[in-house]
Amino acid sequence: MELDKLGVVTSFVHNIVVYNIPLLYGTVGEIVVEKSGSLNLGVEGIMAVGAIFGYICGCYANSLGVGIAVAFLAGALCGLLFAALTVSLQANQNITGLTLTTFGLGVYFFVGNGLKAKGWPVMGDYANIKAGFSDLPIPVLSDIPLIGQGLFSHNLLVYLGIFIAFVMWWYLNRTTPGLKLRAVGENPGAADSVGINVKRMKYLHICLGCGIMGIGGYYMGLNMSGSFNSSCWINGYGWIAVALVIFANWNPAFAIIGTFVFGFFNTLRVSGSSLAAAFPGVLGWLAAVPTQLYQALPFLITAIVLVASSVRNKQGSGLPASLGLNYFREER
Amino acid sequence: MAQEYAIELKGITKTFGSVVANNNIDLNVRPGEILALLGENGSGKTTLMNMLSGIYKPDRGQIFVDGKEVTIDSPEDSKRLGIGMVHQHFKLVDVFSAADNIWMGREKSGMLLKKERYAEIEEMAKKFGFDIDPKKKVYNMAVSEKQTLEIIKVLYYGAKVIILDEPTAVLTVQEINKLFQILRRMKEEGHSIIIITHKLNEVMEISDRVAILRKGEYITTVNTSQTNEQALTEWMVGHKVDLNIQRAPMYKTRPLLEVRDVTIRSDEGAVAIDNVSFYIRGGEILGVAGIAGCGQKELCEAIAGLRPIEKGEMIHKGENIVGLPPRAILEKGISMSFIPEDRLGMGLAPSMSITDNMILKKYANSRGPFVDRKTGRKDAEQVIRDLGVVTPSTETPVRRLSGGNVQKVLLGREIKAGPNVIITAYPVRGLDINSSYAIYNILNDQKQDGVGILFVGEDLDVMIDLCDKILVLCHGKVMGVVHAHKTTKEELGLMMTGALDLTHKYEDKPAGFARDSRFCTENRKEEA
Amino acid sequence: MKFHIVKRDNCPLWKKCCLYLAAVVIALLLGGALLIALGVDPVAYYTRMFTMGTIGNKIAYKVWINYLKELVPLALVSVALSLAFRMRFWNIGGEGQFILGAIAAAFVAFKTGAGLPNALTLILMCLAAMLTAGIYGLFVAALKVKFGTNETLMTLMLNYVALYVLMFLGETKADWNFFLDAGSARPVFASFTELASFPGIPMGGKFSLNICVILTLVIGILVFVYLKYTKQGYEIAVVGDSAGTARYAGMKVNRIVLRTVFLSAALIGLAAAFKVGTAGILSTSITDDVGWTGIIVAWLSQLNTGVIFVVSALICVLHYGSTVAAATFSQVDSSFANMLQGVILFLVLAADFYTRFKIVPVKKGGK
Repeated sequence: MELDKLGVVTSFVHNIVVYNIPLLYGTVGEIVVEKSGSLNLGVEGIMAVGAIFGYICGCYANSLGVGIAVAFLAGALCGLLFAALTVSLQANQNITGLTLTTFGLGVYFFVGNGLKAKGWPVMGDYANIKAGFSDLPIPVLSDIPLIGQGLFSHNLLVYLGIFIAFVMWWYLNRTTPGLKLRAVGENPGAADSVGINVKRMKYLHICLGCGIMGIGGYYMGLNMSGSFNSSCWINGYGWIAVALVIFANWNPAFAIIGTFVFGFFNTLRVSGSSLAAAFPGVLGWLAAVPTQLYQALPFLITAIVLVASSVRNKQGSGLPASLGLNYFREER
Repeated sequence: MAQEYAIELKGITKTFGSVVANNNIDLNVRPGEILALLGENGSGKTTLMNMLSGIYKPDRGQIFVDGKEVTIDSPEDSKRLGIGMVHQHFKLVDVFSAADNIWMGREKSGMLLKKERYAEIEEMAKKFGFDIDPKKKVYNMAVSEKQTLEIIKVLYYGAKVIILDEPTAVLTVQEINKLFQILRRMKEEGHSIIIITHKLNEVMEISDRVAILRKGEYITTVNTSQTNEQALTEWMVGHKVDLNIQRAPMYKTRPLLEVRDVTIRSDEGAVAIDNVSFYIRGGEILGVAGIAGCGQKELCEAIAGLRPIEKGEMIHKGENIVGLPPRAILEKGISMSFIPEDRLGMGLAPSMSITDNMILKKYANSRGPFVDRKTGRKDAEQVIRDLGVVTPSTETPVRRLSGGNVQKVLLGREIKAGPNVIITAYPVRGLDINSSYAIYNILNDQKQDGVGILFVGEDLDVMIDLCDKILVLCHGKVMGVVHAHKTTKEELGLMMTGALDLTHKYEDKPAGFARDSRFCTENRKEEA
Repeated sequence: MKFHIVKRDNCPLWKKCCLYLAAVVIALLLGGALLIALGVDPVAYYTRMFTMGTIGNKIAYKVWINYLKELVPLALVSVALSLAFRMRFWNIGGEGQFILGAIAAAFVAFKTGAGLPNALTLILMCLAAMLTAGIYGLFVAALKVKFGTNETLMTLMLNYVALYVLMFLGETKADWNFFLDAGSARPVFASFTELASFPGIPMGGKFSLNICVILTLVIGILVFVYLKYTKQGYEIAVVGDSAGTARYAGMKVNRIVLRTVFLSAALIGLAAAFKVGTAGILSTSITDDVGWTGIIVAWLSQLNTGVIFVVSALICVLHYGSTVAAATFSQVDSSFANMLQGVILFLVLAADFYTRFKIVPVKKGGK
């Protein structure tokens, strides 16, 4: 009986990580995009496009690596579209982002439904994908009782996600290209005047960020074991990622923490009742909390963070000063 | 063989829509000289320099650097050619440190952002003779610090040609002297310097040669040592500065608007207007002279009720108007027209029609929920006819009009409202001579109708000829009020720079007031 | 020969129309190529889509009724959003405002019961929806005015909060929850009584024109008049054009922002009342994404009230027609419409560039 309770806790911790890492991909990707000064509201659509192409190509090649690469490329292509419209053609970023969401979800269902009619690749049939997506426990650390299995025994993509978050944090804060990127997002006019190629920086980082989002989408598809039905794999995670960017104050390292905070609520929604059953005395009340509250909490918290940071002094915020504004050099 | 010119421009033309900003301009700079680029506002100086810095691309013309023809497509190209520009509105990232603002433009700077960059930048700055704190964030810097940083930045990138766009506009006298020392030293080190300005004394002091632009046209280039301010002014404005503005006779009447001991703060919280007192009579034009940014904007906004007044009183027809909302002040007949640098920022709605702009201040007066455009259209037609506004129709958006016509529309509306006090700032900014005269005539007509006018101006020649009295501001303080027909440009200039303070000239009178201010004192007693 | 890009002062109307038309045509050609690849005759598909299957259809009147049901909320929401956008207040909270309006209207529909006459119930529903949505909008506007909170991100977040409130109501079986059908064991929304649904006006034959259509048209005209001829509309234009000028002219800018955002959100609430009042039932997908599509419609119409009606009518044809066409051509998924819509918009966005900028050659050589 005692052991079972421990098992509930361990699987709870495990689930927080496993089911919410896609958020981290989406968030880190969006941070990279926003740091270049572009507000991209198309995360949901981009993740969907990355997911569907990544999944299908990954399965046909029977290789997780191909899946990841294709998901990245598909996301990056969406980014290229976004960049071409907003950077080169000066289109409104909000409208372009929203359109990208409509378009991306359209592509997702069009390709998915089309393939389903012809023969859907079932993930279980592809040994390499299955094996690649299975848990790889970290020696020693995963033996820690209670949390070891929960925190340190995960699939490759979990490690990759956290690795990317740290690399992006390092890239933004500790490298020269990162410094240049931040300059572009803060004041493109100043960046331009010292000879930074603003257009190239924006194109590159929009594509890079969107590619990272694409991998996150692919992860979500794998998590669902590739079962394709009427609701999209991404299921609103793209929008949570947009919120998480604000919550993480545009810092990829904070995004890891943010992912786990949001993931905590997300997981309570799914396994709150099992926690309540395991610890009726302490956590029994969890069963009574409506699941929708957990779903709304990320957005509610972000809204509060947003208000709080606007009330406070602006200087400490990671919000890029020219976010959402297009740059046209000859503007008078 | 050393080339004669570091930079040579030939036949440069640049248009913005229908506006010709630069027409067929030739210009050259020798290595190791300071060239002043002189011209009035709107003469195309900044546009021309922006083509060297890669912000704009010329429509036509050739650029030579060290004798070789080049194409400058971007600031990147410009930097590579050794051209650096310090823009009037600084191009700095506020949340970055001084060092990072420089570092971000460095080429081949390696992947890693090392701590050593602070020491390197500091050392480099020392080498050029500057003392900076490389870790200080730009948002904590004073204006002069930001300018120094900009100069260090272009030097660090190895600029041989340095362009400064109105660098002295925001500086104090001491800071200007320091800047000039730096420029002279850079010249000795072999740099070519182009300094954009419209201040003649600075031109005479610092430059080796002067190139003059007027209304987008190249006029001439002369050696500074072989010319004088009079000659330069003639080139700059196009004919001898015998302005010949007919100053309408003035009748002494009671003060209409009296400002007593007023203190106003700027947006940044600094004291912009410091304990200032003056008054305007009906039927007189009171000029306000001062170096740009000496509190003129804040003063105008405060009178119009757009800016809180920290201390003091403003008496209009015997009633204190401090604290009244803008609309109430408007209804009392005090009209303010402030023409900012972009002309359309305050006073006009640029994408709306002339008619719609005519009704801006009185739309609320008509009965019922609807806007009365019929009267607006009539007013628009009348203003267009009376002031000779060139426009396709009354329904043309104001932003499509040329600068002079925009200003005529603005002033025309103010006058139509029948004010008793007109506050007008820089009404002829960027206008050609004919348009300017049209504006002066409008103001003189108003004056003769008994309206009190506060004229915030830039051109001292104009102010001496147009105004009855001139109030001089220096860093928010009144340096004195003088009779326009008795003063000289030199006296005004000294007062503007703070070198001459007339406020204590007459001990028996309120500080700094012209002779007839006793009139005012008597009035006060009557009121009391 | 080198080229560079310069801003245009203005672009003649015919040129704009040609550019946009070209964008749509190219998008349709691209879609057509995809259809051919799938083995579908694009002409037949597009014909079916754009006529929404009304030709040679005995029950065409039903198509029109359903089409108008989709059009009314979209047009009204777009008109409402254009009010806020005119002041450069980027309200992307249409979804959330719509949901709250729908809940408020449903609340009235369930609570007033049979005691009240039909018209009064409907009016109460509309008022409740407008007030609720309006206050919600006002809240965001107040934050913006007071603290400078970014309204785009704020309304985006609140959209989801509203959505989960609605889902909570729709998925929680409880005694207090009168929104649900008491007769069903599973949580499903209850239907309204006949009294709480908007009547149709018979137009001969079996087609009846719902009163909401007429009301929407009337509101459209009212908003047009409001913006163009009233003092408040004039204030909105000035504030949107130059806030500095507005302040200088003695306008209370903050008050105007608050008032206009309230009005904008209230009209979205009204659209929601129309929607639930014709559907006769709540649903978790009650918005049908009008909050999002409305933003795109308002922007495409360049905030022009008349054009909004045209654009939203066309977008609805695209949506509705593709469902009809999908039923006939089973090889083509109904999501084809979303893709096509995306491509059309991308190309229109690109075309828009040429209306704002022009590309001119750089001439070499001086005198």
